[in-house]
Amino acid sequence: ALSAGSRLLRGRGGHVVIRFALGGCTNRPFFRIVAANSRRARDGKYLEQLGCLDPLPNAHGEKVAGLNLERLRYWLGCGAQLSRPAEKLLGLAGFLPLHPMTVTGAERLRRRRQREQQPEAAPADGSAEPGTDS
Amino acid sequence: MAALAARGTAALPARLRPLWALPARRALAADAGEGKAAQPKPAFTDEAVQTLLYKMTGLDLHKVFRPEKKGLKPPHYKLMTEAQLAEATRKAIEEAKTKLIMPPVLNEREPIDDVLAEDKVLEGTETAKYVFTDLSYSIPHRERFIVVREPNGVLRKATWEERDRMIQIFFPKEGRRVIPPALFKDENLGTVFQQDRHEDLLNMCIAQFEPDSPDYIRVHHRTYEDIEKRGKHDLLRSTRHFGGMVWYLLSRRKADGLLIDMINRDLLDDATSLITLYHMLHPECQSAKEAKEQKLQGVDLIKVFVKTESQREGYIQLALQAYEEAMATSSAS
Repeated sequence: ALSAGSRLLRGRGGHVVIRFALGGCTNRPFFRIVAANSRRARDGKYLEQLGCLDPLPNAHGEKVAGLNLERLRYWLGCGAQLSRPAEKLLGLAGFLPLHPMTVTGAERLRRRRQREQQPEAAPADGSAEPGTDS
Repeated sequence: MAALAARGTAALPARLRPLWALPARRALAADAGEGKAAQPKPAFTDEAVQTLLYKMTGLDLHKVFRPEKKGLKPPHYKLMTEAQLAEATRKAIEEAKTKLIMPPVLNEREPIDDVLAEDKVLEGTETAKYVFTDLSYSIPHRERFIVVREPNGVLRKATWEERDRMIQIFFPKEGRRVIPPALFKDENLGTVFQQDRHEDLLNMCIAQFEPDSPDYIRVHHRTYEDIEKRGKHDLLRSTRHFGGMVWYLLSRRKADGLLIDMINRDLLDDATSLITLYHMLHPECQSAKEAKEQKLQGVDLIKVFVKTESQREGYIQLALQAYEEAMATSSAS
């Protein structure tokens, strides 16, 4: 179909990316890990589905993800790029090294939680001390 | 006999062959490690053991091909000559032999406990664990990579239960559920046993669990114990579970109930093969030594066994007497 594909004409760019395509229903997301042309719609026609990820935990408290590593290796060998969430997921899986933003995000979260705890502790101490003094 | 066994193993579906290969190697290695001076302990998969078990299983075509509850279809009649009927019976016997291939008897599997990476940085970021399954099509399920990233940052291999569940989700097998049915819990097994549906239970168990999973072994042992307690050995005769039951009972030296059942049904050949198998499994017992010295055959073998090894001597003597009287009257008349 050249009418829709006129934007995807070869010779002007566009590369293969491995990214998440969102599916599912309202308040029920489901991601398919997909190798597609970068200029396609997020949920549009893709080259190959390489796996899936269910972001909601199941009855056993697990987030189920499947990855077709053989085909993933093939597309990476063909020169496919990865989107950042895909890189983070593969880092969690152990296929790639842990993404630096995952580490940074974890540290930022920890610092934010510490800051939230300290102001609670500080006024609590401040209010307790005059009480003990007097 | 040997040809029969060879044909039997060759006809094994490809799915069962790798599982059968494992325990033979493991058993050999274990025996080499123990360094027994006597013969190594016979395994379930030995040819001699398999031929004996197969002989005892029997081949009742009416039971093997009894009508299963399928869709309603009107009966199909064919007009055949004698030769065609013989040909059809021969084909039916071949098919029955494939239906009677014994499922493997394996030791319980070791729990998986392997940590691949520990990333303390990730502590507190996630609330639920991630389970990653490798979906490459051409890998055998035993070698598939299934890893779990815990909320505390530890990347470990999945436990056997998690593995079975994930493989069933992504590569569903017919007759198997993701979560095992409540039927297999201990409290519900009693209901099934009261309805005498041991065979159906064992078929469902084979469909649901892997042969070396603890649940499979537990259900099978409970079934065999119940059969032994009630003396209903005939329920499993001419099914593929008979060999496993005999193996279980003989390993625990509970051959009496089975022996009585065989003698009552005038299956003396099966009784002698049962005793031979018992001697192969426990070569150090007294009756085995006597049998080897005197090279006994047939009824004498049973009598020696009864005198030395059995607990229910009186019952077996009575059964043997009844059998001999029946033989005498039938040969006289």
